[in-house]
Amino acid sequence: MARYGMALDYKSCINCRACESACKAENGVLPGRDNYRIWVGQKEIEGQFPKLSISSLTYQPSQCQHCDNAPCQQVCPTNATYYDENGVVRVNPEQCILCTYCINACPYDARYIDDRTVTVDKCNFCSDTRLANGETTTACQATCPTKVRTFGDLDDPNSDISKLLEKREYKQIKEHLGTKPKLFYLL
Amino acid sequence: MNLSIKNLITFKKTPLNLLVAVIGALLLAAFVAGAVMYFLHGHHAFNVTRQHPWGLLIAMYVFFVVSSTGLCIISSIGHVFGVKEFQQIGKRAIAGAIITILSGFAVIALEIGHPITMLIYNVLTPGLTSAIWWMGTLYGIYLCFILLEFFFLTIKVDHKWSKIFGIGGLLAGLAAHSNLGAVFGFLISRPTANGVFYPVYFILSAMITGCYLIYIIYGFKYRNNYPDHLKAMFLKLNKILGMLLGILIFFEAWKILTALYGTMPERAETIMYAVTSPNFLIGELLLGMLIPFFIILFTNGQAIKPMVYASLTGMIGIFFMRYDLVHDTLVYPMTMLKRSEYQLPPTLLHYFPSPTEMMIGFGGIGITILGLYVAEKVFNLDPDPEH
Repeated sequence: MARYGMALDYKSCINCRACESACKAENGVLPGRDNYRIWVGQKEIEGQFPKLSISSLTYQPSQCQHCDNAPCQQVCPTNATYYDENGVVRVNPEQCILCTYCINACPYDARYIDDRTVTVDKCNFCSDTRLANGETTTACQATCPTKVRTFGDLDDPNSDISKLLEKREYKQIKEHLGTKPKLFYLL
Repeated sequence: MNLSIKNLITFKKTPLNLLVAVIGALLLAAFVAGAVMYFLHGHHAFNVTRQHPWGLLIAMYVFFVVSSTGLCIISSIGHVFGVKEFQQIGKRAIAGAIITILSGFAVIALEIGHPITMLIYNVLTPGLTSAIWWMGTLYGIYLCFILLEFFFLTIKVDHKWSKIFGIGGLLAGLAAHSNLGAVFGFLISRPTANGVFYPVYFILSAMITGCYLIYIIYGFKYRNNYPDHLKAMFLKLNKILGMLLGILIFFEAWKILTALYGTMPERAETIMYAVTSPNFLIGELLLGMLIPFFIILFTNGQAIKPMVYASLTGMIGIFFMRYDLVHDTLVYPMTMLKRSEYQLPPTLLHYFPSPTEMMIGFGGIGITILGLYVAEKVFNLDPDPEH
């Protein structure tokens, strides 16, 4: 039993989006405008040309926040969305009725419809693909050239992520909603 | 009951009857065509997206079940609460409630991706924290109750049992419908929808919809030329409707003011967008509320014939209320960061229904028209002699 989370040293992100490609390749995400499990958000650059603030241009890699108190799980009428034994928020395609209530309820825009199963899909920290095969990293983490992502067990005090969160300050997205997200943006 | 085919296909060929027949047939054909498009292309036939996952079909589902609940509530004034003037509308109103909810189910069956899976896993692994689970389950119970109520009102007349099932249907309908409001009210991610407003507003607007539909159904049946016993009912209905519209306008005004006050991020911007859109100003406000309200107000509640026409504009307004409910809830994107270098910064989302969505959604009205016609032909929906 673990409690997986991810820390993101987002200021190191160079927007190469290798993570997006790795995620799609690893998890077989189909092409299409709305089909993505993870993405890199880009803040608008501040100032007027030619006085543009280069330092204001930051990137924010994002995905499912694997909330401890996930609104998508609460609203699911058939419990198709569930927490697995590692605290990862996942979808059972057998039980999903595609009412898309969870897509409406997610504050992070982390869900989409997978045309292979015609059910709702989302990031599952590569549980089916890598973790099931004994790997200890996610595809997005393994491929990142600037080591933005650190994935691991939040309940293990000796894990890299626990040590990182001990010594670095971090922020979380929309935490005022009480979702208790498990993605931590290092400051 | 009269189930003969000859009885079903013969009707007076008046211009109004023919017009409604043609509109009904076209809408039914549209529904079938839309269903075929959906079976061929799935959700790709709809203009819904990841950011705006619900659209016209959810709005039309809400529209139909609001109509059903409304008719059930208004009919209960007579045969549950015993107000004499309303007892005569009981059978027709309950028939309308059954038909409109079935129309709603037909529409939502083509929006839910896996309706059969839903029937199985709603029972096997119920999501008890989900407002959709409660809404769906309670509407199932509600449908059973009003079917039994109708059975004991028309087929095997027994007023004791019809009243028992009437009370059950009313309570299940109120619970189901407020849960439908909670489907939106529970969305913590959507500040404009989150809160107590929608569960209460849904019941209020259902009662208003029920009044409008009683006017339209009886206006069509009697060609706006009513016997005295119906006039007495309509005069009371006017008073009820006027009061309900007054409360609705009051509620809406405070909802808007509290949402705009202090310009809270996301909420104020969304509501400002909503209340300045023609959908709200012309659809909801003018057609849905002000025209019927002012007719009742300025005629001191005595106008009956004009209210039939006002109810038609009212139902158009009710449609816009349902449409805006869905669209305004989802219009603010959940992430405001752009995902590509060559993209404009995200703004409020755009949504307009696809032809398939319109065919299925508006086609559902064809099912209602057909259902009301068949019910009128097969059953005796007029009051029993002792009423």
